[in-house]
This record gives sequence, structure tokens and C-alpha cells, in this order.
Amino acid sequence: MESLADTLWDVVICGTGLQQSLLALALSRSDKKVLHIDPNDFYGGAEAAFSLQEVESWVEKVETGKEGLFRAASVEKLEGDTGLSFPRAYSLALAPQLIHARSALLSQLVSSRAYRQVEFLAVGSFSIFKPSPDPSQHSALVRIPSTREDVFSTTAISAKAKRGLMKFLKFVLDYESNPQTDTWHPHADAPLTEFLLKEFKMDKELQTYIITLTLSLDGKINTRDGLAVIRRHLSSMGMYGPGFAALYPKWGGLSEIAQVSCRAGAVGGAVYMLGTGVKTMNDQENPVVIELTSGDTIKTRKVVRASENATDNTGINRLVAIVGSPLKSLFDSTVEGAPTPAVAIVAFPAGSLSTAAGEASQSPVYLSVHSSDTGECPANQSVLYFTTVSEPGSQELLRRALDSFLAAVAGDTVPQCLYKLEYQQRQCSARSQASGSIFGFAPPTSSLAFDDSTLQSVHDAWKMVLDDESVEEDYLTFADREGAMDDDEIYD
Amino acid sequence: MADQGGSQHGIARTSRVRTEAQKQQDLERIQKYRDLESHLRKLVAASDYSRDTFDLTTKLLKLNPEYYTVWNVRRRTLISGLFSRRSDGSSCWRACSSSSRCGTTTTCSAASLSSSLTRTPPSRASPTTGKSGTTADLDTTATVAPQQPTPQDDEEAQKKDLEIIKSELFFTIPLLLESPKCYWIWSYRLWILDQSILLLPVPIAKKIWQEELGLASKMLAKDRRNFHAWGYRRYVVSQLESKELGGESLVESEFAYTDRMIRADLSNFSAWHSRSKLIPRLLDERGAGEKERRDFLDAELNQIREALNVGPEDQSLWSYHQFLVDNLVSPVGRPTVPTLTLEDRVEYLTNEITEIKDLLEDYEDVKLIYEALLEYTLGLCQLEERKPEEEERQDLICWLKKLKELDPMRMGRWVDFERDYGLTELLPGGSG
Repeated sequence: MESLADTLWDVVICGTGLQQSLLALALSRSDKKVLHIDPNDFYGGAEAAFSLQEVESWVEKVETGKEGLFRAASVEKLEGDTGLSFPRAYSLALAPQLIHARSALLSQLVSSRAYRQVEFLAVGSFSIFKPSPDPSQHSALVRIPSTREDVFSTTAISAKAKRGLMKFLKFVLDYESNPQTDTWHPHADAPLTEFLLKEFKMDKELQTYIITLTLSLDGKINTRDGLAVIRRHLSSMGMYGPGFAALYPKWGGLSEIAQVSCRAGAVGGAVYMLGTGVKTMNDQENPVVIELTSGDTIKTRKVVRASENATDNTGINRLVAIVGSPLKSLFDSTVEGAPTPAVAIVAFPAGSLSTAAGEASQSPVYLSVHSSDTGECPANQSVLYFTTVSEPGSQELLRRALDSFLAAVAGDTVPQCLYKLEYQQRQCSARSQASGSIFGFAPPTSSLAFDDSTLQSVHDAWKMVLDDESVEEDYLTFADREGAMDDDEIYD
Repeated sequence: MADQGGSQHGIARTSRVRTEAQKQQDLERIQKYRDLESHLRKLVAASDYSRDTFDLTTKLLKLNPEYYTVWNVRRRTLISGLFSRRSDGSSCWRACSSSSRCGTTTTCSAASLSSSLTRTPPSRASPTTGKSGTTADLDTTATVAPQQPTPQDDEEAQKKDLEIIKSELFFTIPLLLESPKCYWIWSYRLWILDQSILLLPVPIAKKIWQEELGLASKMLAKDRRNFHAWGYRRYVVSQLESKELGGESLVESEFAYTDRMIRADLSNFSAWHSRSKLIPRLLDERGAGEKERRDFLDAELNQIREALNVGPEDQSLWSYHQFLVDNLVSPVGRPTVPTLTLEDRVEYLTNEITEIKDLLEDYEDVKLIYEALLEYTLGLCQLEERKPEEEERQDLICWLKKLKELDPMRMGRWVDFERDYGLTELLPGGSG
């Protein structure tokens, strides 16, 4: 067998984040020699999922300032015997993104047969946190209606407002045809909220419902993007079964997809080396010469890696909380025949939270609640993922959101928070691109729902690696490795 | 009957490019199938309904569930020996006369075997002993009472029969998954379910039928508007309510079921239809007096109006609204509130018209709204035995104009209305 140094690799992929891993999947049936390395000793990169022990190592690394996108990470544990289980009972996701049923990611996982190894769970209700004006009263979580049946059932909206909402939902489903385009094109770059007010006479409350459905991090999404996202949500509803519009992979979200993709890459012959990074690289030569941190020097035709663009100063703050309650009320499926959801989304609209100093929140806070069905925590506990745009006071606001949420869902007792992980993740507006023999993936977005534009970069990288050998019809379209089903059995 | 080896309902097979090897493989398969089939025919010709025959039907039916004769052969093998306690008179379902102690059997024609598609609900043979009368040979009309089995034998036999019933139900499942519309499989399944009533004690048979109700729910969950599945459900419910299975009414839970189905999908003719059928019995069983009935009617009207508010283009909703309105305005048979006076009816109808007019505020181009307003307004006039008042006349003219614009295919109908009710604008002051 050839050693690493003797092989002329067709591509070295650095990092096992989602994009790189999907590329490995895409190359898994080609006869290319793929070396896939990652300086971390875990798979998933910025989309990894961690046990509690891995969280702590990661937090230490972040504090050294060498984790690229991530900053200001810290962990807080409740004192004493709290019911926190052993570290490996948890799998906290860095990228707890929901995947809309319509997303091309799912159809690609199907056509590449990788879907067989992923277990998908349903994402259930979207709710809005409504602070109660009376401090002695519980705040409420109000479900957002997104189907005709939801609108029918809800008691929170007037008959006239329901009609307005229905007209909008119908409009969005067909928003790219005439005469709808005439209505929204003039507002394309204006905030969606303005469009909703002007053209649909929606009051603030209805506007909040719609904006929440877009999961817009700053709440200021424009009309063009907003309509696209809502249409994706609405047309995803019911696609894989009644009552849900999005899916979530079990065991840690996107990390699971990255792992399954790498596994497929390995089965296809790629060589995997964790805990290995690039020490030096000379890309002026052809083939590119790389010295790995393992000491090996290798030659490769192409290199794919995370690009090294500077990040913006924008980003998100996240708070991950483990809570000692199954929070059942969030996971009941109201639709007949619907699967029990494992994820529920709660939005705290701008203004619904305030700091200790009394300042109202300027941006929305989003919460993704995960039940133990996700495999991310043991039974009778839940994991809460809070996200908001990074602004002064964001960390405090996330903590307020946590307290307000627990108070709102409290039954006889307020559920306890057993463990908290906080960190910041920076954004980068650069795009993925090729330069010579090197393809650089732009850092992942921190959006709450999977963005299909990520897949375009993977496709570009695949084309770059295969050059003129790429056959479009074969992109992520494979046959089952096991061979065709044998239907002659019954003749025996 | 031509041996088709599986009807294709006129759908052409998609032509595939087949290699010589594949063709050869297919020819072998065809030969194997033909061999199985001729083997079965030989056994049947020799009246051999043994276990071997049963196994042969298993193989054949997996290959071709549409071959209904083979289903019948399977039935015969069960009756002829595999069921330990036979229902009397082979497949004859008419009840034994109640003088079962002397073990008389009714004659039945062998033809009833193959006409097993008619759904004559089975009834227990002898209510007094709880056993199914006597065992009888297929072709004789015996009047001799054979030895009665002992209680232990009975229990053993029941257990065995339960096993067979369960395994037969299980056998149909993969076949149904592959050919969900094949009548013969459903027919066989129902026959097995009927056997459970004939052969097993009431509580066990009831459980089996309750599981069947669960299956019907699952089917409806997969396809809420499957008309056949709703019919199947009604049949299963009627069996569960029959006296053979304890005679408990399921009307409340079925009503609640339509509620859930509607909440899952408003646009469901079958659910609304089922609901309408359940109302008379529901109110009777609740012992509803006049107040309860009025409240019920008000709640139903409110609910359907809420539904119309979000789905005015949906015909199934208007259809249910029409049912409720007809029921109170011109009831035939079982009115929901039988004690309504003429004034009450007028008030209800007037109110509905007012409420529906509100929808026009936001839904200007939905034809069904105008149609409903037209029908109800004319209906109101008829109820009060008068001609439309001037304001109503103007409304009607306006709505007809809209209908002509939105539904030009039915121009003739709108023009007829105009003419019959003097609603054309062109001729001032009167009849057209």
C-alpha cells in the first residue's frame, strides 16, 4: 500500500465542516484519491456536536483565540447534585439549524443515498413570547399560525385579521407570478414589515408573526428575501407528513450530516486523518506541496479548505442551556396523524425583553427547544438554544430570555437550568471561491434554518476538483451500494 | 374465465429495454408461476383442501393478489379444516335457527362461496350457548348433532382460531401495502374479521375489530380524503356498535374524530359528510332538549363560518353550511332543532346572509360567496313567501353581475336567474 507521501493525491480537503464533508460525499463514488484532514480531533468543524467534556476542551481552545469564528466562550454549571447526567449523555450542537422540507439538502441526501444513515425528526410549532403586562400573570407562548387550519383554529386573531393573513399566505405561495410581482417588486429592498403594512394592512402583531416565520436574525429582512423564505416555509408544510414544515437530524443537527458524509467518503476510499492540519503549503508549484502537522509531506493536485477571509464584526451571541424538564407542553402535535415533534421554535420579538437597566431589546431573540428525542440530552431534560445578533447587552438579553422562558412554561415549579454554555460566533460576508489550485469555502452562516445557497459552494468545489471529468447528472446521484433489491425471493 | 395472471386495469406496462438474460429470467418466472397455478388447479379438482393447498395459495397470492379464485380456495381450506371450530354450514352466514340445541343446519348453496363479496353481516349462531352451532360437511344437510366439544377443547380451539385469524390478517398487510386498491384483498380481510365474530368470544372479537378501527384511522391519516377509507371506517364502526359485539354506541368518539380530521384539513368533504350523518344520533343520545339543540346548531354555524372565513373558495365548507341551513330552513327527516318557528328560521337565515356579506369585504372575487348569497337570499324570500325587496333586488343584480364575470361557463344559469326573478337591469321597474 502506498504511503501518504508516495501518493499523488487528487485533492486534500481540510476541515470536516458541513461543506467539506458534503464534498467528500460528492466525491465518494469517483475514483479520485481523496485525503481528508482536520486539525480537530472531532468531526464537524464549526457544525460539530459536543459531549460536555468536548464542550470544555472546545471552550479552552476558543479562549486561546485560535478558533477562528468563535469567541468569548464560557460554561456555567449549577452547583451540587443537580441531575446533570454523565458527559457523554449530551450532544450539544454548534449548528442547531432546522432544515425545511423543501430544502435541496434533503433531496441531495436522498439521491446520494446518504439519507439512510440519518434519522430525521419533525420540527413542530413556532411560537411567540408574549410578555404579560401584569407582572403577577404568567407570560404566554402564542402559536404562530402558518396554515389555513392553524388560522382557523387560533383564537388569538380577529376574523378580519384572519382574512388579511389568509390573503397574504395565498399571495406568498404564488409570489413569483403576475400580478403578485407587480405588487412587491417596488418594495423588493424595503423591509418586509413595511410591505406587510402598506399592501396588506397588517398590524404590528401580525407583522411579528410573519417576521418570525422568516427567522430573520435582525428582524429587518427585506421583502425579496422575506417572501422567498416564507414561501419556502409554507410550501414545506406537510411535505413529509402532516403538521410540520422542517426537519432536524437526530444526534446533533448538521454534525450528523457531516459525519455521515465523511463516513461515505471513507467507504469510497478517502483517507481520513483527524488531529492533523496543514503546517505549510506551497501552492506555487504544481502539484501543491503540503507539510502536515503530522510531519508527513504530501503532494496534491487540488486543495479545498475553509477560506481565511477576515470576519466581519457582526455575528451572533448564543446561549445553550440544559434544563431539567421535558417541557412536554411544547412538543404536543396538534394535528391528527402528525409525528411528535422534537424541536420547537420560540421567538422573543424586539421589545419583548428588557435589560436590568430597563432597556427594551432592539433585535429579536430566537429559541430552539430540543427534546431528548433529538438524542442531545437524556430523557426528562431538554436543551435550549438561544440566538440573537451580537450587540452590546446581547449576553444579558439571552439570559433574560432564558429566565422569562422558564417562567412562562413553569407548571408547579420553574424548571431548573443545569448547565449553560455561552459564546459568540462571527459572520463573514465573503463568498466561497477558487483561486488556482485552491478552493476556499466561506465560513458558514449563523442562520437558524439551513440555507440552500451553501450547497452551491459544494457544487462549485466539486466541479473544480473534477475539472472536465465532472458529469452533471452524477452529482450526488448514486445507486445503493448494496445492490438492487432481490425480488425473486418469493419464488423460492 | 380467462387466466390473466393479474389484471392491469388497462394500464400499459412501461416498456424497458431487456437483455437476453433478463428475458430468460422472466420466462423462468412465468413458468414457475404457471406451474404453481396448475398444481393448485389439480388439487382443487380433486377437492383437496389440505394444508398443502393452503400453502400453495400463499405462494400464488403473494405473486398475484388479484387472482380472486385463489382467495376463495384459501377460504375453503380454512373452513374445511384449518379453523378448528367451523361456523355452521361452511360459508353460510345466515343465523342458525335458535333451536340450535338439536343442531339443525340450514342448507346453503356452494355458490355462496364465490359470492362472498356481498356484505351480509354475520351473526352469531346460538346466543344461548355462545357457540357456533354444529360442524357440518360442505355438501350435506345433516340433522344429526355431533358430539359437543368439551370446554377445554373449546378453549384450545378458540386459541388456535385466534392464531389463524391473526396470522391471516397479518398476511394481508404487505399485500395491501403493495396493492392498496385491490378489492379481493380487502374482501378477504373483511371475511376474516367476520370469522372472528363467528368463532371467537365477544371480548376477543371486539378487540380485533377495535384494532381494525385503528387501521382505518391510520389509512385516513395517510390520505384524509380517501372516500373508500371513510366508508370502510363506517362499516367497522357499525360492526363495533352491533349487538354481536356488545352494542356500544361510538357516536361521540366518531364525532370527535371528525373534529380532529377537520382541524387537520378543512377541505375534507368526507369528514364534513360523516359529521352531518352523526348529528341526529348524537343529539338523541345526549338527550338534548331544545336549548341544547339550539346551542349545538349555533356552535356548528359559528364553526363553519370561521372555516369559511379562512377558506371561502372551498366547496366542502359551503356544502356543510348549506346542509346546516337546509336543516333549519326546510328540513327533511331529522331536523336538528325541530321546534323552530317560522320567525326563528327567518332570523337564522337573515343572520347568515349578513355574516356572509362580511366576507365580501376582503374576498371580492370568490364565486362561491356570491352563489351562496344568491341562493340564500332567494331562499329567504321563499321562506317568507314574498318577492325580493328593493334593496335585496339591487344586491341580487350586483351579485349576478359578479357571477357572470367570475363564472362565465355557467352564463346560462345566471341569465335564467335574472329572467326568473326579474333581475335584469335593462328593463326598468319590472319583469324581464
